[in-house]
Amino acid sequence: MPHQLEKPLWNPYFAGILLGLVLIASYLVMGTGVGSSGAANRLAIGAAHWIAPTAVEQNGYFGPFVARGAPVLDDWLVWEVLGVFLGGALSAYAAGRMKLDILRGPRATTGKRIAFALTGGIIMGVAARLARGCTSGQALSGGAVLSAGSWIFMLAVFAGGYLVAPFVRRQWK
Amino acid sequence: MNLPLYPNEYFGRPFGMVVGTLTGVAFGFVLERAGFGRAPNLAAQFYGTDMRVFKVMFTGIATAAAGLGLLGGFGLVDLAQLTIPETFLWPQLIGGLLLGVGFIVAGYCPGTACVAAASGHVDGLITYVGVGLGTLVFGAFYPQLQAFYTGSNLGVVRLDLLLGVPFGVVAAGVVVMAVACFFGAEALERIFTRRNAEAQPIVARPFRNRAMAVMLALAVIAVVPAFATRSASASASASATAVKRATAIDATTLARQLAQDPSRLQVVDMRAQEACHQHRVPTATCRKDEKDDWPARLLPTRALVLYGDADLRQVPAELARFPGDVLILRGGFPAFQHAILDPPVAPTETTLANLTAYRAQSALHTHFTGQQAAPIVQRAPSTSPGPAAPAAKKGGGC
Repeated sequence: MPHQLEKPLWNPYFAGILLGLVLIASYLVMGTGVGSSGAANRLAIGAAHWIAPTAVEQNGYFGPFVARGAPVLDDWLVWEVLGVFLGGALSAYAAGRMKLDILRGPRATTGKRIAFALTGGIIMGVAARLARGCTSGQALSGGAVLSAGSWIFMLAVFAGGYLVAPFVRRQWK
Repeated sequence: MNLPLYPNEYFGRPFGMVVGTLTGVAFGFVLERAGFGRAPNLAAQFYGTDMRVFKVMFTGIATAAAGLGLLGGFGLVDLAQLTIPETFLWPQLIGGLLLGVGFIVAGYCPGTACVAAASGHVDGLITYVGVGLGTLVFGAFYPQLQAFYTGSNLGVVRLDLLLGVPFGVVAAGVVVMAVACFFGAEALERIFTRRNAEAQPIVARPFRNRAMAVMLALAVIAVVPAFATRSASASASASATAVKRATAIDATTLARQLAQDPSRLQVVDMRAQEACHQHRVPTATCRKDEKDDWPARLLPTRALVLYGDADLRQVPAELARFPGDVLILRGGFPAFQHAILDPPVAPTETTLANLTAYRAQSALHTHFTGQQAAPIVQRAPSTSPGPAAPAAKKGGGC
């Protein structure tokens, strides 16, 4: 069992304090917090622009991202999320948790799990554009600098999760 | 040293991107160690059995808020220079609800999906791909969503400015609330794990208590500078909430200043995108080309000139924190068009005053359009404009 070789997770409060320090460092050095969905946004726009340049340039939302040869991918957020990927991989590898698999509940099929992951992702993609950020950029970063809208967003995230959780419970049972 | 570093130009963009990557590495590392790379750990939050998500997130927010309150209170960092998301009430409320739904369906939020993908969990990778696809869905329906998306904009609303108390005091309140909620969360965990006959998440009590003590101590010292420098921060917050006052500038003065030293001004066209793309004041950028955080990208060292279709009646609320001077072009774009861009009309009476004014006007006209003004018939003085500047290019700007 590889599980016995894994390092234990950090105490959540310890992890939280370190997370807070990372956030402070980001604000002090870059003047901005961390983010995540913004990079998915830019990667998707970049890919779509490569496939259908005219349609993307004429789109009211995408247009400004690619207008005048704007660097849609060479953006702080994209680099930052590349870092998140590297940091996550580094930590998982060092802790013996790096493993190619699909995490699912004992009774969920692989197909169902993939469908849920994709559907949830798409819903979050729409939601994050609507709210101008996700749990990282709005709730965490905006919350730390006391933005009223970020706090509203954060409470809404938990409300939405709890409202729907009973209906998708079987995924994990 | 002025903090934050990047907005104060301590280093340039390439190094900024390196710093961004390193910030991400630290962020991703902490998320993975917190257990956020595994969907079951995250989903447990919503079934009450392991409130890890809430604990880590809220500890992080409280620590960061208290730390920034402390540094800001002592004047070590200029809180006004931090990027603060604007509040769009309804899009953020509905977007938050939807994101919560997506979170529990997928088992990840966008950031944790990335960490899961990095740890080899394919479901995380698929979730992140889904987030990208969601962006495309949003873009496809943007014409229908636009009014809702851009509506209910309240500008930057910081809770401390809203409540009229120092940042550190609100931050301390957040910490106290967090600590109280943690005890509540652990009580709930005991109830739900017993009901589900699962093992309770292991939280080392002594460590928890020490962590709470650290946060409370941070909260206390975050409040201290708030009272020590109360008058200073009170006046600062007063100026930050007040509506920015602007002075008027007429078209000819603006044109002259732009011609002499364009590096002292930044011009923003507030009109509709189409109108702005068609004709605008040279060097101006179009407000509608920018994202909603456009005030953050303005240069604080330059005076800001705004204009619309006619006189702008007031400075947009989101500019409340712009530190420089704000000037409003009298008469809006039509005034500039008439005075500078349209060919000047040669005076019928060739008095000295008329001729001087005409020469100045023609010089500016030539400077900005590259077109020579019509010579005056009687005296035919070749107006002596400076070297003709090329016509302002579409999308020009500094």
